[in-house]
Amino acid sequence: MKKKNKIKRFTNLAAGAGAAGALIAFLLLLNYLQLERADPLESTARAALLERLEAEPNNEALKEDIRNLDLLARKAFFNNQWQINTGAVLLLISAIIFGFSLNVLNTLKASIEMPEQDEPEEARASRLSQRGILIAGAILVLAALGATYFSSDYLQSFQASATKTTVAQVEQIEVVDAGAPDMESGTVIEQDSSAGFGQDTTAAPNQPAAESAPSASYPTIEAILQQHGSFRGPLGNGVSFQKNIPTDWDGAEGRNILWKIPLPQKGNNSPIVWGNQLFLAAAGRNSRAVYAYNRHSGALLWQQAIGNMSGSPASPPKVSDDTGLSAPTLTTDGIRVYAIFATGDVAALDLSGRIVWAKNLGVPDNHYGHSSSLLSWQEKLFIQYDTNKGCKVMALDCGTGATLWETQRKVKISWASPILASIGGKYQLVLSADPLVAAYDADSGKELWRADCMMGEVGPSPAFSDGLVFAANEYARLAAIRPGNPATVVWEQNEYLPEVASPVAANGLLYVATSYGVLACYDAKSGEKYWEHECDAGFYASPLIADGKLYALDMSGVMHIFRHDKEKQLTGEPSLGEKAVATPAFANGRIYIRGEKHLYCIGS
Amino acid sequence: MSKWKKTGSAFFLSVLEGISFAQQRFPKPEFETGYVQPSPETPAPRALFLEYLDVGVLFLVLLLASWLIYRKRSRRGILWLSVFSLAYFGFYREGCICAVGSVQNVALSLFRPEYAISLTALAFFLIPLVFTLFHGRTFCAAACPLGAIQDLLVAKPVALAPWVRKPLGLIPHLYLGLAVLFAATGTEFIICRYDPFVGFFRLDARFVMVILGIGFLVLGLFVARPYCRFLCPYGVLLSWMSRFSKRSLSITPAECIDCKLCAKSCPFDAIEKPTNRQAADVKESNAKRFLVYGLLLPVFVAGGCFLGGRAHVFLSKAHPDVRLAELLISQPEVRNDPDNIDVQAFLASGKTMETLIAGALVVRQEFYYGSLILGAFMGLVAGLMLLNQLAFREHTDYEPNKADCFSCGRCMDYCPVGKEVGKTREVGKNPGGWKNPGGLGKPGRCGKPPGFDEYLI
Repeated sequence: MKKKNKIKRFTNLAAGAGAAGALIAFLLLLNYLQLERADPLESTARAALLERLEAEPNNEALKEDIRNLDLLARKAFFNNQWQINTGAVLLLISAIIFGFSLNVLNTLKASIEMPEQDEPEEARASRLSQRGILIAGAILVLAALGATYFSSDYLQSFQASATKTTVAQVEQIEVVDAGAPDMESGTVIEQDSSAGFGQDTTAAPNQPAAESAPSASYPTIEAILQQHGSFRGPLGNGVSFQKNIPTDWDGAEGRNILWKIPLPQKGNNSPIVWGNQLFLAAAGRNSRAVYAYNRHSGALLWQQAIGNMSGSPASPPKVSDDTGLSAPTLTTDGIRVYAIFATGDVAALDLSGRIVWAKNLGVPDNHYGHSSSLLSWQEKLFIQYDTNKGCKVMALDCGTGATLWETQRKVKISWASPILASIGGKYQLVLSADPLVAAYDADSGKELWRADCMMGEVGPSPAFSDGLVFAANEYARLAAIRPGNPATVVWEQNEYLPEVASPVAANGLLYVATSYGVLACYDAKSGEKYWEHECDAGFYASPLIADGKLYALDMSGVMHIFRHDKEKQLTGEPSLGEKAVATPAFANGRIYIRGEKHLYCIGS
Repeated sequence: MSKWKKTGSAFFLSVLEGISFAQQRFPKPEFETGYVQPSPETPAPRALFLEYLDVGVLFLVLLLASWLIYRKRSRRGILWLSVFSLAYFGFYREGCICAVGSVQNVALSLFRPEYAISLTALAFFLIPLVFTLFHGRTFCAAACPLGAIQDLLVAKPVALAPWVRKPLGLIPHLYLGLAVLFAATGTEFIICRYDPFVGFFRLDARFVMVILGIGFLVLGLFVARPYCRFLCPYGVLLSWMSRFSKRSLSITPAECIDCKLCAKSCPFDAIEKPTNRQAADVKESNAKRFLVYGLLLPVFVAGGCFLGGRAHVFLSKAHPDVRLAELLISQPEVRNDPDNIDVQAFLASGKTMETLIAGALVVRQEFYYGSLILGAFMGLVAGLMLLNQLAFREHTDYEPNKADCFSCGRCMDYCPVGKEVGKTREVGKNPGGWKNPGGLGKPGRCGKPPGFDEYLI
């Protein structure tokens, strides 16, 4: 082939490949822009249909439409992807052909020129190069300065503000500012004179908090038994000493509902009552708070945000919906109220809502969420902290938050709460977890005894009555343990086992409420089953014994009331009218129930 | 079956077994859904012996390239070898592992004791450097797939003036410094992430990178190997080695006739013409300027150090921990954005903000020291480049610049002396019969050598 023909042929080839490449590139660009502007997978029509489906969840035709639209969108998306991929390959091929053709053309057309007669001045080229390097260097300098000038150091500014916050927190915790309440962190809604706790809210600024004074007198056991100051009542044991507890109400109709107020945030913790105040906690993704209500009127006395303390996570840990971020119930000794959240934040507030101290125990590694409730006795606040990354029980100083003792536990993660039992004249902290039911000296934290009888994900707390400790868990067993060294398992049962609700025992009778809706009564000494009762809904709230009756609130909000007797005698099954998982709190003539959305006060 | 056959069969079976293990360590479950699993961004890991095979191939390619350049003086051989490298290291190995990116593996292993560099990565980093120290940049000529894909598409190269080329030479140094800094701080392997050609090798890339790759190739039609010359960070190391290489490509096997064809043939402007000592001597001002630059060199280094220190906050923002911490501080509402995977992953981890900030501050401190060094390095490079413009290196013939020459062999192919030497060698004649009639450095000295016309197509 002649050189001229070769040139012509490769010119045509280069032109063809170039034109094809340009066309493909243009189409690719169009495709890309189209995909950017309207991604089929983010179709607004589909979103609108999905929104409609939420309103009409049973509309089968609508579901079919959504499926068809979704299929169409996916087809369009993958078709687009195929076009882009194929286009890219074609573009590459045409680019290669184009380049190759130009290369050959360049060689074919190459001619050797005679060398230039006048050499360019080297010195001038050198000077220009130096100038170029200096200009490039100057551009780099300007770029570096620009980067410095226009970039903000958020880390530094955060550190500075964190230092300020820490100082403020220290001031807030150690020295109560009794001036105007901080509307952001804590809001005193109403000073209810009937609350009558004698807290001076107009004290001078920088006055040391009364609570940190070591002379604060803690309630006696008699005073505690007259209140409902912790989860499952006094000492966490499920037995209330309140009288005239209502047995008949109807939440939907409002019968015997003294007041009903909407709850501010989510929380599965149970209400507690001390004197005229009722406390509960709630938490969302961005806030955690403790609330105090006038238990007679339902008026919100104050609310206090908890968080922003050293070690508190920027965002809450992942928890399951049925546990939530605020499952542990508060406890109070009548001087302060104590709270703990799934973030590991623990706080003590005085009864007017001011934070006395706050600390973070480290975010508990708990796949459902931390749920172990608090319990206080004298100057100690007990915390069962069984997590996936280590288990321990600790006592904090109620006045300062300082750790008084801490005992590591060789158990698995648990969701149960501690109870206090007077055994042998001393108060023992009894805890249940896999595999141990164990007791610790309330004063020193020393392990006193243990019984290796539990297994699984232990949620129900133990119970104590007549010298026996009762512990149970679903898929494990119901065991009666005689404390001692060694502790002995007196009897075991495995017919009805609770998943969440704790057993309760008194006067030789033991009750168990299962999550599948069976209530069972056993002889506490022998384990003999006296009776059982099947309910329509299961139990998460723990049953309580009060006023000679057993009160068991099922998840649908129906309270199953039986005489506290080995014969099954159903007294009533009043309904709240909304779902409930929290354990009720009792006060004389009153029941306080936290429903899914409302807080109820029931009384006649 | 003979002993050798048995041994051979066992070897091949083990090879096949190795391949199957390498492809799928944990077999995927068989679902009848018709779902096609998307290919990962990086090539699948290979069996160890296949990695060593890659090292062996690299070694052989470099050996062959050196032989082709120094013994055979074959441009065609180099061309086909680069086609092989493009096919093997580029399209077959999908651009990974490559010597260019291995700089980052080495940097990471030096500064992060918890990272153990693989022998393969180390070999890919060292072997080309060692070869360059002895034989010049043969790696660029024939073994680098990034270079090969650009080299094959050089169509109509234009010569770039030194005042364009020299300042642009700062960029690869900056890129190298940044790549080392980011790798050493565990931020990112930027060379790999912003490799413009790897998308072609894998036939899969982000749209922007495809556009960038096409842009480089189109630019490469006219400005030969733009990535290699004005961006490649590994090229900086190779050029350092090449300056001290024991051997380097010689354009002509005999005496240069100063025909200047080689300079014209080189698309990379890497051929230096004979120096004119008289012209250099008269420039006394050059000596003064040299002295000034020499004295200013510590100032450049100190200035670079200062600027680097100032820029460390900006640079550290590339680190994922710093970026996340700053995002959460500056835009707290992002916590509610379910589509922000980084934020949601952090929130789900249960880590505290304090932990995140503490980690970010450690990274920022590392960036501070790293940026100081980077700034000092850039100051030093700029100062040395200035000095280099004034340094007088005497050479009597057209010679390739040892630092810039990619050893592609085009100049050898063009050299009429080489062709004539080849001819005369064939007939056993002395090739010196057509010696350049002109004197060195004298314009107009070049005459037509024998065979000159034959060279014309």
